[in-house]
Amino acid sequence: MYIDKDLCQSCLDCLPVCPMGAIMLKDKEVIIDYEMCVECGVCRRFRICPEDAIKQVEEIPYPRIIRAVFSDPLVTHESTGIGGRGTEEMKTNDVTNNFTLGKIGFSVELGRPGVGAYLSDLDKVARKVTSMGVIFAEENPVIPLIADRKTGALRPEILKEKVLSAIVEFLVPEEDALDFIDELKKFMNEELETVATMSVISRADQNGDSEFLKKLKDHGETPYPNGKVNIGMAIV
Amino acid sequence: MTHTLNRRGLSEDRTHDEIVILCMAQQKQKTQKQEALKEITRTILKYKPDNIMSAPLGANEEAIIAMSVGAGIITAVFNNNEDVRNVVAEIKSKKLGVSMVLSGLFEDVRGICAANNMQEHTYHISLGIFGRTDKLPDDKTMEITTQCGHALISPHLVNDIVKKIKKGKMTGAEGARLLIKPCVCGVGNPKRIETILDEMAKSE
Repeated sequence: MYIDKDLCQSCLDCLPVCPMGAIMLKDKEVIIDYEMCVECGVCRRFRICPEDAIKQVEEIPYPRIIRAVFSDPLVTHESTGIGGRGTEEMKTNDVTNNFTLGKIGFSVELGRPGVGAYLSDLDKVARKVTSMGVIFAEENPVIPLIADRKTGALRPEILKEKVLSAIVEFLVPEEDALDFIDELKKFMNEELETVATMSVISRADQNGDSEFLKKLKDHGETPYPNGKVNIGMAIV
Repeated sequence: MTHTLNRRGLSEDRTHDEIVILCMAQQKQKTQKQEALKEITRTILKYKPDNIMSAPLGANEEAIIAMSVGAGIITAVFNNNEDVRNVVAEIKSKKLGVSMVLSGLFEDVRGICAANNMQEHTYHISLGIFGRTDKLPDDKTMEITTQCGHALISPHLVNDIVKKIKKGKMTGAEGARLLIKPCVCGVGNPKRIETILDEMAKSE
């Protein structure tokens, strides 16, 4: 994204709308900082500029295009066919049964909430969880970015790209999940230059309860009181 | 939608606060579930959600239905638990074979399931935020910014709007409408945002 200097009247209305704070006044001119901008498209969709001075280049070059793919929900990723940064994960689990009893799904989302992430941080997490022997969700848009599946290393040319967020999704056997959480939390708190949310997916038992939710609390975790629940509507 | 489980500010002390509904056709079934998506979206619209997918882009009901069919998904937010119970009951009775996710307090979801003789199938649970948490905005701002499923609500805009409300240049309702504008999923909750904005304007 960029500001057309010939059209901009310096009203400054656009400055606060950028989630990354990339629109700023510099030397009496409104600019979009090229490095801070993640190409999410919010500034244009807001239609806040009366002069239509907020512009997008005709074609965002590679590797910068990755910023848009992981930041603009209206960009559908080639590898998933769905908009957004993740997969269907548990949303359709009553159809797919990707998450079964005895397996815990993990989503680690880098850059959220509201900080953004360089892909160098994604690289760190991908390497870490690869070394821990996880089973990746192959349909996740992060997977094509991994250059070396043995180490989890991302393509080197993309590491300096910044995105609103990127999600790593994988499965861990339930008996290993609590230790896994401890190790990953320690790693993220010590190694990351951004924030990350971590969430777990657990298949309910025959009473509709999550045994793993109880285990989390017994383990000393403080999971949020709110979350997502697939209610089995597809199989009624 | 993934991020709705990381919405901040919901509390077991205040049940029946809000519920986000998502209905999604499994990707391989998207084509044969088009009619089902139409039916589901009409049902959700009938109960007048506080926000719904594509509405922030200015879409009317016809366009919302068309977009949900094309995407194979519909998302909406309600502040009335009773409406959600009724939506679930109606969709259940039609046996459309499309998945539904409720995002809100687990206690509320349990009540809605029980009222419809249903049970939770799969849970998605947030363990919190890790890493450089020193870079996060304050908790109240995050109660608003985490309401967008794709993190498109700017914390800078929240602060700007709070200042305008304090100066009497904008109302909380106007500020909420502006803040949900970039959130195409329609899961930003204007009523809750208005309340939070007014609280912030009073307390600062």
